[in-house]
Amino acid sequence: MFKELDPLLHSQLRLAVISLLMSLEEADFVFLREKTGATAGNLSVQLEKLSEAGYIEVAKSFLGKRPRTTCRITAQGQKAFEEYIEAIKGYIG
Amino acid sequence: MEEKILSEKESLELISKMISETKNKLERGGGNIFLLWGYLGVCVSLIVYGLLNFTENYAVQWLWFLIPVIGYPAMFFMKGKSHTGSVTFIGSVISKIWIVIGVCTILVSISILYDYTLLPILFIMSLLVTAGVTMSGLVLKFKPAAVAGFIGIVLSFVLLLVSWKSQILVFAAMSAIMLIIPGHILNSAFRKQQKNANNV
Repeated sequence: MFKELDPLLHSQLRLAVISLLMSLEEADFVFLREKTGATAGNLSVQLEKLSEAGYIEVAKSFLGKRPRTTCRITAQGQKAFEEYIEAIKGYIG
Repeated sequence: MEEKILSEKESLELISKMISETKNKLERGGGNIFLLWGYLGVCVSLIVYGLLNFTENYAVQWLWFLIPVIGYPAMFFMKGKSHTGSVTFIGSVISKIWIVIGVCTILVSISILYDYTLLPILFIMSLLVTAGVTMSGLVLKFKPAAVAGFIGIVLSFVLLLVSWKSQILVFAAMSAIMLIIPGHILNSAFRKQQKNANNV
């Protein structure tokens, strides 16, 4: 029996963001945009969705005079990612 | 990258690609913090040693405070400039090691304001810093720093055996061995990595 894939993670940009954050303590918006190649607008929307689901924490601060948005994965996000990997293994066999 | 729905195979490929993006790569100027503290340690030691011999005035020992007064602001400035936008788990561990060591060295410095005979200051400072260099080298799996740090730990105990004026020269030598040499090796390793990446 195939497990259902988490629709929140089964999307290219959101999965890319979560995969990056799984291997980092934290990453800022510019870093995520560079690594994923996404547009700023699209990335903002997807981060908002992940944050609303409780998968990531978003913090706003300043680096010098420049505003900085930092993201880090939550325990809930880590669990969701691990479950996603388990589910996908079932599909690939 | 868009909000595209992926096949299962594409998902796994994407995850592996993103994780490889965060692998521990050497950072540009990663050795510069080592070089900053190393050159500062050597310069201030030699200035204090020279002035002590030249003037015989023990007040020149206050110049030791040039190390934190110049070092900390310069370090924060350099860290701000070399900000990469992400913090790896290893980077976070190393930062925490140095925060603890930084707090300890500040408290030791404050204690000598109360009574400078209270503690063997150069020995304690050296032991703290060499322990930090060794731990950083081990966590980063960067052998030159780990080896230099261990040599530094052993040399720290030499400070307890020599006269207080000679301690200053040993301290200068330690700064060169445990900070300047690994710093240059780290920067050179980064340049090599860049060269290899450009050739691929």
